[in-house]
Amino acid sequence: MPRTYEAVYVFDSTLEDTAVTEKLDRFHELLGTSGEMKVDHWGRRQLAYPIGPRENGYYVIARFDAEAAGLPEYERALKLDDSVIRHLITTFDNEVGAPPMTEEELALAKKRGDDDDDDEE
Amino acid sequence: MRRPSKACPFCETRVRFVDYKDERTLGRFITDHGKILPSRLSGVCARHQRQLSTAVKRARYLALIPYTKGLQG
Repeated sequence: MPRTYEAVYVFDSTLEDTAVTEKLDRFHELLGTSGEMKVDHWGRRQLAYPIGPRENGYYVIARFDAEAAGLPEYERALKLDDSVIRHLITTFDNEVGAPPMTEEELALAKKRGDDDDDDEE
Repeated sequence: MRRPSKACPFCETRVRFVDYKDERTLGRFITDHGKILPSRLSGVCARHQRQLSTAVKRARYLALIPYTKGLQG
């Protein structure tokens, strides 16, 4: 069963925009998914701390449906590519992609929280 | 005696899952030195504090927020 994943890539900021798109295409081909692919280019931004000699990175967020079996090969390619400074693949469905809480759920969570709030001083 | 608990800022805005990409929000829950703010100070509920902890760690890895700051010199 395919799952939705979210991947964040941080590319070397000296890379040309076209080269980034090219690399993304190559990586995503490895996934072998025909489903839709949402790619969001954040573009160049300053890193919160220097990574080696680099002060800036080119950020890309991608969302895709993939079979779990295809992921290791894809991640290996990411690891081997020196122009990818950082990458993170997370599941999307029940995490960040989950819809906002409804009022009923909120009330339920609140009730439960009042019962066993173990972090109270 | 029990203090009345603060309302969780994430619950208030109906957030189901804390987003590690949202460095603006995460920035509100780290100290001046970059540590994760304890929930007793921020009022974050236990569930969201767990999510926040993971989110901050992910954001640090991606260099969206620093591991440490304000300690130079």
